Amino acid sequence: MSLKLKALLKSPWVFHLSTGSCNNCDIEVLDCLTPRFDIERFGMLLAGSIKHADVLLITGSCNRQSVTRLKRLYEQVPKPCLVVAIGECALSRGLFIDSYNCPEPLDKIIPVDVYIPGCPPKPEAIIAGVVKLIEKVKGKK
Amino acid sequence: MNKEAILKDINSKFEKDIISLLDKSPTRVYIDIKPEAITKITPYVFRNLGARFNIASGVDCRYHMEILYHFIIEDINLLISFRVKLDKKKALEIDSITNIIEGANWVEREIHELLGINFKGHPDLRKLLLPDEWPEGVYPLRCDYKEWDKKAIRDRGV
Repeated sequence: MSLKLKALLKSPWVFHLSTGSCNNCDIEVLDCLTPRFDIERFGMLLAGSIKHADVLLITGSCNRQSVTRLKRLYEQVPKPCLVVAIGECALSRGLFIDSYNCPEPLDKIIPVDVYIPGCPPKPEAIIAGVVKLIEKVKGKK
Repeated sequence: MNKEAILKDINSKFEKDIISLLDKSPTRVYIDIKPEAITKITPYVFRNLGARFNIASGVDCRYHMEILYHFIIEDINLLISFRVKLDKKKALEIDSITNIIEGANWVEREIHELLGINFKGHPDLRKLLLPDEWPEGVYPLRCDYKEWDKKAIRDRGV
């Protein structure tokens, strides 16, 4: 494991990006940061800028307007970075699979490391997914 | 003014322009009007009756396109929807009300790009929601919309 990746896993700073979701997944991401679930005990912190982030949390069904923004943001993340797709829309576009405005799923646009299904996924599921990702990258079971 | 007085007032002022009036519920009225009358009725309802322009909505029906202009009179909690029917066989165009109500600017742009209705006299009919590479003359919310993007992926990949 590279030193950069090792340092990243101690305290992964997350950046939250909505690509046209209904905001329900966004609310669940916000719930993770509240004292009840307290994602900061794993060292995760919501970064204000994409340039400070290590993990990209993506929600929403990637509509035509937001795909260009998504690509531009992905180019700005310091590499190595991890990408987490949250919610059914980010996984397979859910209800919007035949929509005129959602031509491609997220994992055909950028590489995705973890998929967290649910509409919306519970905060517990989001935390479990991110912890599994960290452990997978560390090489543990 | 209460609801009955307002409806009577509109009915007497615009007798020739109103096709029919549907009193749906105590807080909801639909008024069918002629397309060319919208620029006459709107300023009267907006300025004299103290109504607020809520939103306009467009529907693609079988033989005609519908535009509904929703006005709310908040003092008496009354929602008046002026319904305009545009024949599909004729040119789909109607006078813009943006010059009367500035708030109608964006919703007219949206109806223009999604349903292809031309608003005559609108100051700036650019695209609002659709991306720039969207082809001309393709309107996604019409009944006869066909997929134009050959690269679109329509399976879940499992």
